[in-house]
Amino acid sequence: MRGMLSLAVITFKEGIRNRSLFGIALLALFLFGLNITVAGFFMRDIGKVTVDINLSALNFAGLLLIFFVGINLMAKDIDRKTIHLVLSKPLSRSQYICGKYFGIQFFITASLMLLMVFSCLTVALLLQLYPNYFDGFSWGIFFVATFFIFVKLWLLSAVVIFFSSLTSSSLITLIFSLATYVAGVTIEEVVFYLKTELAAQERIISESLKSFIEVISWVVPNFAAFDFTMEAAHGLAINTDRLMVSFGYGVLYSAILLLLASLIFSRREFN
Amino acid sequence: MRLGWSLPVLFVALVLYCLLLPEVWVSREQVRSEVQAGYIIPSQFSRILALGNKGILADFLFLKTATFIGGRGGAGQPLSEEDWHYVIRSLDVITDLDPYFSDPYTLAAGLLSWDAGKPEEANRLLKKGFHYRTFDWRLPFFIGFNYFYFLRDYETAADYIMTASQLPNSPAYLPTLGARLAYYGGKSKTALLFLQEMIADTDDALLRRRLELRLLALERAVIIEEALEHFKLRENRLPAPSELVELGYLPELPPDPYGGQWVLLPNGRVFSTSRFVVVDSNRDNAVEE
Repeated sequence: MRGMLSLAVITFKEGIRNRSLFGIALLALFLFGLNITVAGFFMRDIGKVTVDINLSALNFAGLLLIFFVGINLMAKDIDRKTIHLVLSKPLSRSQYICGKYFGIQFFITASLMLLMVFSCLTVALLLQLYPNYFDGFSWGIFFVATFFIFVKLWLLSAVVIFFSSLTSSSLITLIFSLATYVAGVTIEEVVFYLKTELAAQERIISESLKSFIEVISWVVPNFAAFDFTMEAAHGLAINTDRLMVSFGYGVLYSAILLLLASLIFSRREFN
Repeated sequence: MRLGWSLPVLFVALVLYCLLLPEVWVSREQVRSEVQAGYIIPSQFSRILALGNKGILADFLFLKTATFIGGRGGAGQPLSEEDWHYVIRSLDVITDLDPYFSDPYTLAAGLLSWDAGKPEEANRLLKKGFHYRTFDWRLPFFIGFNYFYFLRDYETAADYIMTASQLPNSPAYLPTLGARLAYYGGKSKTALLFLQEMIADTDDALLRRRLELRLLALERAVIIEEALEHFKLRENRLPAPSELVELGYLPELPPDPYGGQWVLLPNGRVFSTSRFVVVDSNRDNAVEE
Protein backbone atom coordinates (compact mmCIF):
# COMPACT_ATOMS: atom_id res chain seq x y z
CA MET A 1 0.00 0.00 0.00
CA ARG A 2 2.84 2.31 0.94
CA GLY A 3 4.72 1.47 -2.26
CA MET A 4 1.60 2.19 -4.30
CA LEU A 5 1.20 5.57 -2.61
CA SER A 6 4.87 6.43 -3.22
CA LEU A 7 4.49 5.51 -6.89
CA ALA A 8 1.36 7.69 -7.10
CA VAL A 9 3.26 10.63 -5.59
CA ILE A 10 6.21 10.11 -7.96
CA THR A 11 3.85 9.91 -10.96
CA PHE A 12 2.07 13.08 -9.78
CA LYS A 13 5.40 14.95 -9.41
CA GLU A 14 6.55 13.73 -12.82
CA GLY A 15 3.35 15.06 -14.36
CA ILE A 16 3.59 18.43 -12.60
CA ARG A 17 7.18 18.86 -13.83
CA ASN A 18 6.15 18.36 -17.46
CA ARG A 19 6.52 21.59 -19.40
CA SER A 20 3.47 20.86 -21.56
CA LEU A 21 1.45 21.72 -18.46
CA PHE A 22 2.31 25.40 -18.85
CA GLY A 23 1.22 25.42 -22.49
CA ILE A 24 -2.09 23.74 -21.63
CA ALA A 25 -2.65 26.12 -18.69
CA LEU A 26 -1.92 29.11 -20.96
CA LEU A 27 -4.39 27.81 -23.54
CA ALA A 28 -7.08 27.44 -20.88
CA LEU A 29 -6.36 30.95 -19.57
CA PHE A 30 -6.59 32.26 -23.13
CA LEU A 31 -10.01 30.59 -23.49
CA PHE A 32 -11.20 32.18 -20.24
CA GLY A 33 -9.98 35.57 -21.53
CA LEU A 34 -11.71 34.95 -24.86
CA ASN A 35 -14.89 34.27 -22.90
CA ILE A 36 -14.83 37.80 -21.47
CA THR A 37 -14.48 39.26 -24.99
CA VAL A 38 -17.01 37.03 -26.74
CA ALA A 39 -19.75 37.16 -24.09
CA GLY A 40 -20.79 40.67 -25.17
CA PHE A 41 -21.56 39.44 -28.72
CA PHE A 42 -24.69 37.66 -27.52
CA MET A 43 -28.12 39.13 -26.86
CA ARG A 44 -29.44 37.75 -23.59
CA ASP A 45 -27.84 34.38 -22.89
CA ILE A 46 -24.47 35.72 -21.72
CA GLY A 47 -24.60 33.45 -18.66
CA LYS A 48 -25.20 30.38 -20.80
CA VAL A 49 -22.34 31.25 -23.16
CA THR A 50 -20.01 31.91 -20.20
CA VAL A 51 -20.78 28.55 -18.62
CA ASP A 52 -20.47 26.76 -21.99
CA ILE A 53 -17.05 28.26 -22.72
CA ASN A 54 -15.73 27.72 -19.18
CA LEU A 55 -16.81 24.10 -18.94
CA SER A 56 -15.59 23.35 -22.48
CA ALA A 57 -12.23 25.00 -21.70
CA LEU A 58 -11.85 22.89 -18.53
CA ASN A 59 -12.86 19.75 -20.41
CA PHE A 60 -10.51 20.53 -23.31
CA ALA A 61 -7.59 21.31 -20.98
CA GLY A 62 -8.26 18.03 -19.13
CA LEU A 63 -8.24 16.06 -22.39
CA LEU A 64 -4.96 17.67 -23.47
CA LEU A 65 -3.44 16.87 -20.05
CA ILE A 66 -4.42 13.22 -20.37
CA PHE A 67 -3.43 12.78 -24.02
CA PHE A 68 -0.17 14.75 -23.93
CA VAL A 69 1.05 14.27 -20.37
CA GLY A 70 -0.98 11.47 -18.74
CA ILE A 71 -0.28 8.89 -21.43
CA ASN A 72 3.46 9.39 -21.12
CA LEU A 73 3.37 8.91 -17.36
CA MET A 74 2.80 5.18 -17.79
CA ALA A 75 3.43 4.34 -21.45
CA LYS A 76 6.91 5.88 -21.41
CA ASP A 77 7.90 3.52 -18.56
CA ILE A 78 7.24 0.67 -20.95
CA ASP A 79 8.50 2.52 -24.02
CA ARG A 80 11.86 3.36 -22.43
CA LYS A 81 12.13 0.08 -20.49
CA THR A 82 12.34 1.93 -17.14
CA ILE A 83 9.53 -0.42 -16.10
CA HIS A 84 12.18 -3.04 -15.23
CA LEU A 85 13.66 -0.71 -12.63
CA VAL A 86 10.25 0.02 -11.08
CA LEU A 87 9.16 -3.62 -11.02
CA SER A 88 12.42 -4.68 -9.34
CA LYS A 89 11.15 -2.82 -6.23
CA PRO A 90 8.90 -4.61 -3.71
CA LEU A 91 5.74 -3.69 -5.62
CA SER A 92 3.20 -6.01 -7.22
CA ARG A 93 2.07 -5.34 -10.77
CA SER A 94 -1.48 -4.59 -9.60
CA GLN A 95 -0.07 -2.06 -7.15
CA TYR A 96 1.94 -0.57 -10.01
CA ILE A 97 -1.26 -0.16 -12.09
CA CYS A 98 -3.16 1.39 -9.18
CA GLY A 99 -0.23 3.63 -8.21
CA LYS A 100 0.08 4.95 -11.75
CA TYR A 101 -3.70 5.46 -11.99
CA PHE A 102 -3.93 7.39 -8.73
CA GLY A 103 -0.84 9.42 -9.71
CA ILE A 104 -2.45 10.45 -13.00
CA GLN A 105 -5.75 11.10 -11.20
CA PHE A 106 -4.03 13.39 -8.63
CA PHE A 107 -2.17 15.16 -11.40
CA ILE A 108 -5.32 15.79 -13.48
CA THR A 109 -7.32 16.83 -10.41
CA ALA A 110 -4.66 19.22 -9.04
CA SER A 111 -4.05 20.84 -12.47
CA LEU A 112 -7.74 21.29 -13.17
CA MET A 113 -8.44 22.60 -9.67
CA LEU A 114 -5.99 25.39 -10.40
CA LEU A 115 -7.68 26.12 -13.74
CA MET A 116 -11.04 25.98 -12.02
CA VAL A 117 -10.02 28.86 -9.77
CA PHE A 118 -9.43 30.98 -12.89
CA SER A 119 -12.65 29.68 -14.41
CA CYS A 120 -14.62 30.74 -11.31
CA LEU A 121 -12.95 34.16 -11.41
CA THR A 122 -14.01 34.57 -15.07
CA VAL A 123 -17.61 33.59 -14.26
CA ALA A 124 -17.64 35.89 -11.22
CA LEU A 125 -16.28 38.78 -13.30
CA LEU A 126 -18.89 38.32 -16.03
CA LEU A 127 -21.57 37.96 -13.38
CA GLN A 128 -20.46 41.36 -12.08
CA LEU A 129 -20.39 42.88 -15.58
CA TYR A 130 -23.72 41.46 -16.80
CA PRO A 131 -25.78 40.73 -13.66
CA ASN A 132 -29.08 40.81 -15.58
CA TYR A 133 -28.03 38.21 -18.11
CA PHE A 134 -27.36 35.26 -15.81
CA ASP A 135 -30.98 34.08 -15.53
CA GLY A 136 -31.18 30.99 -13.39
CA PHE A 137 -27.40 30.66 -12.99
CA SER A 138 -26.45 28.61 -9.95
CA TRP A 139 -22.93 28.10 -8.59
CA GLY A 140 -24.09 24.77 -7.14
CA ILE A 141 -25.08 23.33 -10.54
CA PHE A 142 -21.93 24.82 -12.09
CA PHE A 143 -19.78 22.95 -9.54
CA VAL A 144 -21.76 19.73 -10.10
CA ALA A 145 -21.08 19.99 -13.85
CA THR A 146 -17.38 20.66 -13.14
CA PHE A 147 -17.19 17.70 -10.76
CA PHE A 148 -18.54 15.42 -13.50
CA ILE A 149 -15.86 16.70 -15.88
CA PHE A 150 -13.40 15.38 -13.28
CA VAL A 151 -15.27 12.04 -13.14
CA LYS A 152 -15.13 11.81 -16.93
CA LEU A 153 -11.39 12.53 -16.96
CA TRP A 154 -10.75 9.98 -14.19
CA LEU A 155 -12.55 7.40 -16.31
CA LEU A 156 -10.50 8.41 -19.35
CA SER A 157 -7.34 8.01 -17.22
CA ALA A 158 -8.45 4.43 -16.52
CA VAL A 159 -8.87 3.92 -20.29
CA VAL A 160 -5.30 5.19 -20.79
CA ILE A 161 -3.98 2.83 -18.07
CA PHE A 162 -5.87 -0.08 -19.65
CA PHE A 163 -4.38 0.49 -23.12
CA SER A 164 -0.91 1.18 -21.65
CA SER A 165 -1.06 -2.24 -20.01
CA LEU A 166 -1.92 -3.83 -23.37
CA THR A 167 0.51 -2.14 -25.73
CA SER A 168 4.20 -1.42 -25.74
CA SER A 169 4.07 1.95 -27.53
CA SER A 170 2.80 5.29 -26.20
CA LEU A 171 1.64 6.20 -29.72
CA ILE A 172 -0.61 3.14 -29.94
CA THR A 173 -1.97 3.92 -26.46
CA LEU A 174 -2.70 7.47 -27.63
CA ILE A 175 -4.49 6.28 -30.77
CA PHE A 176 -6.60 3.69 -28.90
CA SER A 177 -7.46 6.08 -26.06
CA LEU A 178 -8.38 8.87 -28.50
CA ALA A 179 -10.54 6.47 -30.53
CA THR A 180 -12.27 5.29 -27.34
CA TYR A 181 -12.90 8.88 -26.29
CA VAL A 182 -14.38 9.85 -29.69
CA ALA A 183 -16.54 6.70 -29.72
CA GLY A 184 -17.56 7.32 -26.10
CA VAL A 185 -18.71 10.92 -26.60
CA THR A 186 -20.63 10.12 -29.79
CA ILE A 187 -22.10 6.68 -29.10
CA GLU A 188 -25.17 8.02 -27.28
CA GLU A 189 -26.15 10.27 -30.19
CA VAL A 190 -25.68 7.40 -32.66
CA VAL A 191 -27.74 4.98 -30.55
CA PHE A 192 -30.59 7.48 -30.14
CA TYR A 193 -30.44 8.49 -33.80
CA LEU A 194 -30.93 4.84 -34.79
CA LYS A 195 -34.04 4.76 -32.61
CA THR A 196 -35.64 7.75 -34.36
CA GLU A 197 -38.26 7.49 -37.09
CA LEU A 198 -35.96 9.31 -39.46
CA ALA A 199 -33.38 6.54 -39.21
CA ALA A 200 -36.13 3.96 -39.69
CA GLN A 201 -37.02 5.63 -43.00
CA GLU A 202 -33.40 5.42 -44.16
CA ARG A 203 -33.37 1.86 -45.38
CA ILE A 204 -29.59 1.97 -45.87
CA ILE A 205 -28.95 1.26 -42.18
CA SER A 206 -28.67 -2.50 -42.09
CA GLU A 207 -29.60 -4.73 -39.17
CA SER A 208 -26.00 -5.92 -38.84
CA LEU A 209 -24.81 -2.33 -38.46
CA LYS A 210 -27.45 -1.74 -35.79
CA SER A 211 -26.29 -4.87 -33.95
CA PHE A 212 -22.68 -3.71 -34.20
CA ILE A 213 -23.59 -0.30 -32.72
CA GLU A 214 -25.51 -2.09 -29.95
CA VAL A 215 -22.39 -4.10 -29.06
CA ILE A 216 -20.19 -0.98 -29.18
CA SER A 217 -22.63 0.86 -26.88
CA TRP A 218 -22.04 -1.87 -24.26
CA VAL A 219 -18.26 -1.85 -24.65
CA VAL A 220 -17.20 1.81 -24.88
CA PRO A 221 -17.87 4.17 -21.97
CA ASN A 222 -20.80 6.55 -22.55
CA PHE A 223 -19.08 9.87 -21.78
CA ALA A 224 -22.35 11.76 -22.41
CA ALA A 225 -23.54 10.43 -19.03
CA PHE A 226 -21.15 12.90 -17.37
CA ASP A 227 -22.25 15.92 -19.40
CA PHE A 228 -24.21 18.40 -17.26
CA THR A 229 -23.24 21.47 -19.30
CA MET A 230 -26.78 22.25 -20.44
CA GLU A 231 -28.12 22.05 -16.89
CA ALA A 232 -25.31 24.33 -15.63
CA ALA A 233 -25.71 26.75 -18.56
CA HIS A 234 -29.43 27.27 -17.94
CA GLY A 235 -29.57 26.59 -14.21
CA LEU A 236 -31.85 23.58 -14.68
CA ALA A 237 -32.39 21.36 -11.65
CA ILE A 238 -30.67 17.97 -11.77
CA ASN A 239 -32.31 14.86 -10.42
CA THR A 240 -30.25 13.27 -7.60
CA ASP A 241 -30.87 9.80 -9.07
CA ARG A 242 -29.24 10.88 -12.30
CA LEU A 243 -26.19 12.14 -10.40
CA MET A 244 -25.89 8.88 -8.47
CA VAL A 245 -26.30 6.74 -11.60
CA SER A 246 -23.67 8.75 -13.52
CA PHE A 247 -21.21 8.73 -10.63
CA GLY A 248 -21.74 5.01 -9.97
CA TYR A 249 -21.34 4.25 -13.67
CA GLY A 250 -18.04 6.18 -13.83
CA VAL A 251 -16.61 4.51 -10.71
CA LEU A 252 -17.69 1.01 -11.76
CA TYR A 253 -16.39 1.34 -15.33
CA SER A 254 -13.04 2.70 -14.07
CA ALA A 255 -12.77 -0.17 -11.53
CA ILE A 256 -13.46 -2.78 -14.24
CA LEU A 257 -10.82 -1.25 -16.51
CA LEU A 258 -8.24 -1.14 -13.71
CA LEU A 259 -8.97 -4.77 -12.77
CA LEU A 260 -8.63 -5.84 -16.41
CA ALA A 261 -5.42 -3.80 -16.74
CA SER A 262 -4.02 -5.50 -13.59
CA LEU A 263 -4.90 -8.96 -14.94
CA ILE A 264 -3.31 -8.29 -18.33
CA PHE A 265 -0.29 -6.53 -16.84
CA SER A 266 0.35 -9.37 -14.35
CA ARG A 267 0.63 -11.86 -17.21
CA ARG A 268 2.68 -9.65 -19.43
CA GLU A 269 6.33 -10.36 -20.21
CA PHE A 270 8.77 -7.53 -20.79
CA ASN A 271 11.79 -7.98 -23.04
CA MET B 1 22.21 32.94 -44.25
CA ARG B 2 24.36 35.41 -42.33
CA LEU B 3 22.71 37.51 -39.60
CA GLY B 4 23.67 40.69 -41.47
CA TRP B 5 21.33 39.76 -44.31
CA SER B 6 18.54 38.21 -42.31
CA LEU B 7 17.47 41.42 -40.53
CA PRO B 8 16.88 43.51 -43.71
CA VAL B 9 15.14 40.51 -45.33
CA LEU B 10 12.92 40.14 -42.25
CA PHE B 11 12.17 43.88 -42.37
CA VAL B 12 11.20 43.71 -46.06
CA ALA B 13 9.07 40.62 -45.41
CA LEU B 14 7.27 42.40 -42.54
CA VAL B 15 6.63 45.49 -44.71
CA LEU B 16 5.28 43.28 -47.52
CA TYR B 17 3.12 41.45 -44.98
CA CYS B 18 1.68 44.74 -43.67
CA LEU B 19 0.90 45.80 -47.25
CA LEU B 20 -0.65 42.50 -48.19
CA LEU B 21 -2.74 41.84 -45.10
CA PRO B 22 -5.35 44.60 -45.72
CA GLU B 23 -5.76 43.22 -49.26
CA VAL B 24 -6.47 39.78 -47.82
CA TRP B 25 -9.20 41.24 -45.59
CA VAL B 26 -10.71 43.26 -48.46
CA SER B 27 -10.73 40.16 -50.65
CA ARG B 28 -12.30 38.07 -47.88
CA GLU B 29 -14.96 40.72 -47.30
CA GLN B 30 -15.83 40.65 -50.99
CA VAL B 31 -15.96 36.86 -51.04
CA ARG B 32 -18.19 36.80 -47.98
CA SER B 33 -20.60 39.35 -49.44
CA GLU B 34 -20.87 37.35 -52.69
CA VAL B 35 -21.01 33.94 -51.15
CA GLN B 36 -24.25 31.99 -51.33
CA ALA B 37 -25.92 30.93 -48.12
CA GLY B 38 -23.91 28.08 -46.70
CA TYR B 39 -24.90 24.52 -46.05
CA ILE B 40 -25.70 23.70 -42.49
CA ILE B 41 -25.11 20.17 -41.28
CA PRO B 42 -28.38 18.65 -40.01
CA SER B 43 -28.59 18.42 -36.25
CA GLN B 44 -28.64 14.58 -36.26
CA PHE B 45 -25.04 14.74 -37.49
CA SER B 46 -23.80 17.96 -35.87
CA ARG B 47 -24.82 16.52 -32.47
CA ILE B 48 -22.37 13.68 -33.14
CA LEU B 49 -19.65 15.88 -34.64
CA ALA B 50 -19.80 18.23 -31.62
CA LEU B 51 -17.93 15.52 -29.66
CA GLY B 52 -19.79 16.30 -26.49
CA ASN B 53 -19.61 20.08 -26.90
CA LYS B 54 -23.15 20.74 -28.13
CA GLY B 55 -23.55 23.91 -26.09
CA ILE B 56 -20.48 25.63 -27.44
CA LEU B 57 -21.27 24.46 -31.01
CA ALA B 58 -24.73 26.04 -30.63
CA ASP B 59 -23.07 29.30 -29.46
CA PHE B 60 -20.69 29.26 -32.44
CA LEU B 61 -23.45 28.53 -34.98
CA PHE B 62 -25.58 31.31 -33.49
CA LEU B 63 -22.71 33.82 -33.84
CA LYS B 64 -22.16 32.63 -37.42
CA THR B 65 -25.84 33.07 -38.30
CA ALA B 66 -26.03 36.52 -36.65
CA THR B 67 -22.84 37.55 -38.50
CA PHE B 68 -24.31 36.28 -41.78
CA ILE B 69 -27.45 38.41 -41.35
CA GLY B 70 -25.41 41.40 -40.11
CA GLY B 71 -22.95 41.04 -43.00
CA ARG B 72 -25.75 41.15 -45.58
CA GLY B 73 -27.31 44.13 -43.79
CA GLY B 74 -23.95 45.92 -43.56
CA ALA B 75 -23.36 45.47 -47.28
CA GLY B 76 -26.86 46.83 -48.02
CA GLN B 77 -27.88 43.53 -49.62
CA PRO B 78 -31.32 42.11 -49.03
CA LEU B 79 -31.47 38.52 -47.85
CA SER B 80 -32.73 36.29 -50.63
CA GLU B 81 -35.26 33.52 -50.14
CA GLU B 82 -32.36 31.05 -50.10
CA ASP B 83 -30.59 33.12 -47.42
CA TRP B 84 -33.68 33.07 -45.22
CA HIS B 85 -33.97 29.30 -45.63
CA TYR B 86 -30.37 29.06 -44.47
CA VAL B 87 -31.14 31.25 -41.44
CA ILE B 88 -34.20 29.13 -40.55
CA ARG B 89 -32.26 25.88 -40.94
CA SER B 90 -29.42 27.29 -38.81
CA LEU B 91 -31.82 28.39 -36.06
CA ASP B 92 -33.40 24.94 -36.17
CA VAL B 93 -30.03 23.22 -35.77
CA ILE B 94 -28.94 25.62 -33.00
CA THR B 95 -32.14 25.01 -31.05
CA ASP B 96 -31.83 21.25 -31.61
CA LEU B 97 -28.32 21.38 -30.12
CA ASP B 98 -29.47 23.48 -27.16
CA PRO B 99 -33.26 23.88 -26.99
CA TYR B 100 -32.98 26.12 -23.90
CA PHE B 101 -30.80 28.73 -25.69
CA SER B 102 -33.01 31.86 -25.78
CA ASP B 103 -31.07 34.08 -28.23
CA PRO B 104 -32.07 32.10 -31.38
CA TYR B 105 -35.74 32.48 -30.41
CA THR B 106 -35.26 36.23 -29.89
CA LEU B 107 -33.63 36.45 -33.32
CA ALA B 108 -36.45 34.42 -34.90
CA ALA B 109 -39.06 36.68 -33.29
CA GLY B 110 -37.27 39.84 -34.39
CA LEU B 111 -36.33 38.94 -37.94
CA LEU B 112 -38.30 36.05 -39.40
CA SER B 113 -41.69 37.72 -39.03
CA TRP B 114 -40.72 41.27 -39.93
CA ASP B 115 -37.93 40.95 -42.47
CA ALA B 116 -38.46 37.53 -43.98
CA GLY B 117 -42.25 37.73 -43.95
CA LYS B 118 -42.37 34.25 -42.41
CA PRO B 119 -44.40 34.61 -39.19
CA GLU B 120 -45.46 30.94 -39.38
CA GLU B 121 -41.80 29.84 -39.35
CA ALA B 122 -41.06 32.24 -36.49
CA ASN B 123 -43.99 30.84 -34.53
CA ARG B 124 -42.92 27.25 -35.21
CA LEU B 125 -39.48 28.01 -33.72
CA LEU B 126 -40.96 29.97 -30.82
CA LYS B 127 -43.38 27.16 -30.00
CA LYS B 128 -40.46 24.74 -30.02
CA GLY B 129 -38.70 27.04 -27.56
CA PHE B 130 -41.78 27.34 -25.36
CA HIS B 131 -41.95 23.53 -25.18
CA TYR B 132 -38.64 23.66 -23.25
CA ARG B 133 -38.55 27.17 -21.77
CA THR B 134 -41.92 26.88 -20.10
CA PHE B 135 -40.82 29.49 -17.55
CA ASP B 136 -40.02 32.20 -20.15
CA TRP B 137 -42.91 34.66 -20.66
CA ARG B 138 -41.23 36.25 -23.69
CA LEU B 139 -41.84 33.25 -25.96
CA PRO B 140 -45.66 33.17 -25.69
CA PHE B 141 -45.56 36.99 -25.85
CA PHE B 142 -43.72 36.88 -29.21
CA ILE B 143 -46.00 34.10 -30.51
CA GLY B 144 -49.01 36.18 -29.49
CA PHE B 145 -47.60 39.23 -31.26
CA ASN B 146 -47.10 37.28 -34.50
CA TYR B 147 -50.67 35.99 -34.33
CA PHE B 148 -51.92 39.50 -33.66
CA TYR B 149 -49.90 41.55 -36.12
CA PHE B 150 -49.05 39.25 -38.99
CA LEU B 151 -51.55 36.42 -38.95
CA ARG B 152 -54.50 38.58 -37.78
CA ASP B 153 -55.68 35.79 -35.49
CA TYR B 154 -56.66 37.96 -32.51
CA GLU B 155 -58.26 35.18 -30.50
CA THR B 156 -55.15 32.95 -30.53
CA ALA B 157 -52.99 36.03 -29.92
CA ALA B 158 -55.03 36.93 -26.83
CA ASP B 159 -54.67 33.32 -25.57
CA TYR B 160 -50.89 33.44 -25.86
CA ILE B 161 -50.67 36.88 -24.24
CA MET B 162 -52.80 35.59 -21.35
CA THR B 163 -50.48 32.56 -21.04
CA ALA B 164 -47.47 34.92 -20.99
CA SER B 165 -49.11 37.09 -18.33
CA GLN B 166 -49.34 34.09 -15.97
CA LEU B 167 -45.60 33.34 -16.12
CA PRO B 168 -43.07 34.64 -13.58
CA ASN B 169 -41.57 38.14 -14.07
CA SER B 170 -44.00 39.01 -16.89
CA PRO B 171 -44.86 42.74 -17.15
CA ALA B 172 -47.92 43.92 -15.25
CA TYR B 173 -49.62 45.30 -18.37
CA LEU B 174 -49.89 41.91 -20.13
CA PRO B 175 -53.37 40.94 -18.82
CA THR B 176 -54.68 44.36 -20.00
CA LEU B 177 -52.98 43.88 -23.35
CA GLY B 178 -54.52 40.44 -23.73
CA ALA B 179 -58.00 41.81 -22.96
CA ARG B 180 -57.47 44.77 -25.27
CA LEU B 181 -56.36 42.45 -28.06
CA ALA B 182 -59.45 40.36 -27.71
CA TYR B 183 -61.61 43.51 -27.86
CA TYR B 184 -59.96 45.85 -30.34
CA GLY B 185 -58.19 43.37 -32.60
CA GLY B 186 -55.88 44.88 -35.15
CA LYS B 187 -55.37 48.54 -34.21
CA SER B 188 -51.85 49.90 -34.72
CA LYS B 189 -51.91 51.37 -31.21
CA THR B 190 -51.94 47.86 -29.74
CA ALA B 191 -48.89 46.98 -31.85
CA LEU B 192 -47.05 49.95 -30.33
CA LEU B 193 -47.18 48.32 -26.90
CA PHE B 194 -45.73 45.09 -28.28
CA LEU B 195 -42.93 46.89 -30.09
CA GLN B 196 -41.98 49.04 -27.10
CA GLU B 197 -41.61 45.86 -25.03
CA MET B 198 -39.56 44.16 -27.74
CA ILE B 199 -37.18 47.13 -27.89
CA ALA B 200 -36.83 47.24 -24.11
CA ASP B 201 -35.95 43.55 -24.26
CA THR B 202 -33.37 43.77 -27.07
CA ASP B 203 -29.69 44.51 -26.58
CA ASP B 204 -28.49 43.58 -30.05
CA ALA B 205 -27.70 46.86 -31.86
CA LEU B 206 -28.76 45.62 -35.32
CA LEU B 207 -32.07 44.22 -34.15
CA ARG B 208 -32.74 47.25 -31.97
CA ARG B 209 -32.15 49.69 -34.86
CA ARG B 210 -34.62 47.82 -37.03
CA LEU B 211 -37.24 47.67 -34.30
CA GLU B 212 -36.84 51.37 -33.49
CA LEU B 213 -37.43 52.30 -37.13
CA ARG B 214 -40.57 50.19 -37.11
CA LEU B 215 -41.70 51.79 -33.89
CA LEU B 216 -41.31 55.22 -35.51
CA ALA B 217 -43.30 54.09 -38.54
CA LEU B 218 -46.03 52.62 -36.32
CA GLU B 219 -46.16 55.76 -34.16
CA ARG B 220 -46.80 57.78 -37.32
CA ALA B 221 -49.40 55.28 -38.50
CA VAL B 222 -51.14 55.66 -35.12
CA ILE B 223 -51.16 59.50 -35.47
CA ILE B 224 -52.83 59.15 -38.88
CA GLU B 225 -55.22 56.46 -37.60
CA GLU B 226 -56.38 58.75 -34.78
CA ALA B 227 -56.92 61.66 -37.18
CA LEU B 228 -58.78 59.30 -39.52
CA GLU B 229 -61.04 58.20 -36.67
CA HIS B 230 -61.93 61.83 -35.85
CA PHE B 231 -62.54 62.57 -39.53
CA LYS B 232 -64.84 59.57 -39.95
CA LEU B 233 -66.82 60.55 -36.84
CA ARG B 234 -67.42 64.09 -38.09
CA GLU B 235 -67.65 63.66 -41.85
CA ASN B 236 -68.97 60.11 -41.98
CA ARG B 237 -66.79 59.16 -44.95
CA LEU B 238 -63.26 57.98 -45.77
CA PRO B 239 -60.85 60.86 -46.60
CA ALA B 240 -57.88 60.95 -48.96
CA PRO B 241 -54.62 61.28 -46.96
CA SER B 242 -54.12 64.88 -48.10
CA GLU B 243 -57.63 65.86 -46.88
CA LEU B 244 -56.56 65.16 -43.27
CA VAL B 245 -54.06 68.03 -43.56
CA GLU B 246 -56.22 70.32 -45.69
CA LEU B 247 -59.17 70.12 -43.28
CA GLY B 248 -56.97 70.60 -40.21
CA TYR B 249 -57.09 67.10 -38.72
CA LEU B 250 -53.29 66.87 -38.98
CA PRO B 251 -50.72 69.74 -39.09
CA GLU B 252 -48.84 67.68 -41.70
CA LEU B 253 -48.84 64.14 -43.02
CA PRO B 254 -45.88 62.46 -41.28
CA PRO B 255 -43.68 60.70 -43.83
CA ASP B 256 -43.30 56.93 -43.75
CA PRO B 257 -39.66 56.42 -42.57
CA TYR B 258 -39.43 53.48 -44.99
CA GLY B 259 -40.23 55.79 -47.93
CA GLY B 260 -43.69 54.44 -48.80
CA GLN B 261 -47.04 56.18 -49.35
CA TRP B 262 -49.82 56.03 -46.77
CA VAL B 263 -53.07 54.38 -47.80
CA LEU B 264 -56.19 54.76 -45.63
CA LEU B 265 -58.31 51.64 -45.35
CA PRO B 266 -62.11 51.65 -44.83
CA ASN B 267 -61.72 49.59 -41.61
CA GLY B 268 -59.93 52.55 -40.01
CA ARG B 269 -56.41 51.16 -40.37
CA VAL B 270 -53.50 52.85 -42.12
CA PHE B 271 -51.39 50.90 -44.57
CA SER B 272 -48.12 51.91 -46.22
CA THR B 273 -47.05 50.91 -49.72
CA SER B 274 -43.57 50.28 -48.29
CA ARG B 275 -44.99 47.45 -46.13
CA PHE B 276 -42.41 48.76 -43.63
CA VAL B 277 -39.37 47.68 -45.61
CA VAL B 278 -37.05 50.35 -47.06
CA VAL B 279 -37.85 51.15 -50.69
CA ASP B 280 -34.79 51.36 -52.95
CA SER B 281 -35.88 53.37 -56.01
CA ASN B 282 -32.70 52.50 -57.96
CA ARG B 283 -33.35 48.81 -57.90
CA ASP B 284 -37.11 49.15 -58.00
CA ASN B 285 -37.57 46.60 -55.31
CA ALA B 286 -37.79 46.51 -51.57
CA VAL B 287 -34.59 46.37 -49.60
CA GLU B 288 -34.69 45.30 -46.02
CA GLU B 289 -33.43 47.80 -43.52
